[in-house]
Amino acid sequence: MATADHSSDPGVAAEAGAAPVTETEPDARYTFANERTFLAWTRTALAFILAGLGIVQLLPPFPGVPWGRHLLGVPLIVLGAAIAVVGYWQWAGNQKALRRGEPVRRSPLPLLLAAAIGGLAVVTAVVLLLSAMH
Amino acid sequence: MPPPRRAEDFDPSRAGTPGSRPGAPGPRPAEDFDPGLARERTRLAWTRTAIAFAAVGAAVLKSHLVAGLTVLGLAGVVWGLRQLFRDTAVTRSQTARLLGVTLTVVAVALVALVLSFVGHPR
Repeated sequence: MATADHSSDPGVAAEAGAAPVTETEPDARYTFANERTFLAWTRTALAFILAGLGIVQLLPPFPGVPWGRHLLGVPLIVLGAAIAVVGYWQWAGNQKALRRGEPVRRSPLPLLLAAAIGGLAVVTAVVLLLSAMH
Repeated sequence: MPPPRRAEDFDPSRAGTPGSRPGAPGPRPAEDFDPGLARERTRLAWTRTAIAFAAVGAAVLKSHLVAGLTVLGLAGVVWGLRQLFRDTAVTRSQTARLLGVTLTVVAVALVALVLSFVGHPR
């Protein structure tokens, strides 16, 4: 998409014709969009950390399951850090793909997010059931 | 598809200068120097991220004063970064800036982990 777009710009086309460069500066709108995506994942990561911290620090303990809050909160915090790192890695990869006019890689983050939320829901249900049986 | 925009096309100081379009008199419309308002939207995204940092800082403040104030200070730093993104070319400085934000989030996560174990849950 970015490559096709560049061909319509005479300046870039001439530049590419003079010296066959494999990397060109992408359309600034794509650079901005990539940066916004990174920032959105950063906010998602911060929300996970906030949720984990809130569970550990603010929730009353689960009756009969003293480690319940840590079991739920700590993975959320670790996941927040992981999302931030993967988000950066994805930003760098996307920017490289944009510069080279290659297709962007498929993001691993939606799968990571879905698996983590699904897993945490199961763990939460188990903790609540254990607490209720107490 | 309109022609691709270069980083220098996103300079708001060029607003009001004669347009590059032939036969278009008067000041250039906002769309001309910020197509799709990409620049403005990215600025707002930085603002939202700074607010998210501040929210985490307020939560940390509940358990540890110094750590909370540190995270709130980081929110201020991110707020400042909001002004710097105009350099859209992927330079070492942009990479460093985004890597810095990433490492800051990881550091905040570590602080949150430590507080989870040594803090005083109520």
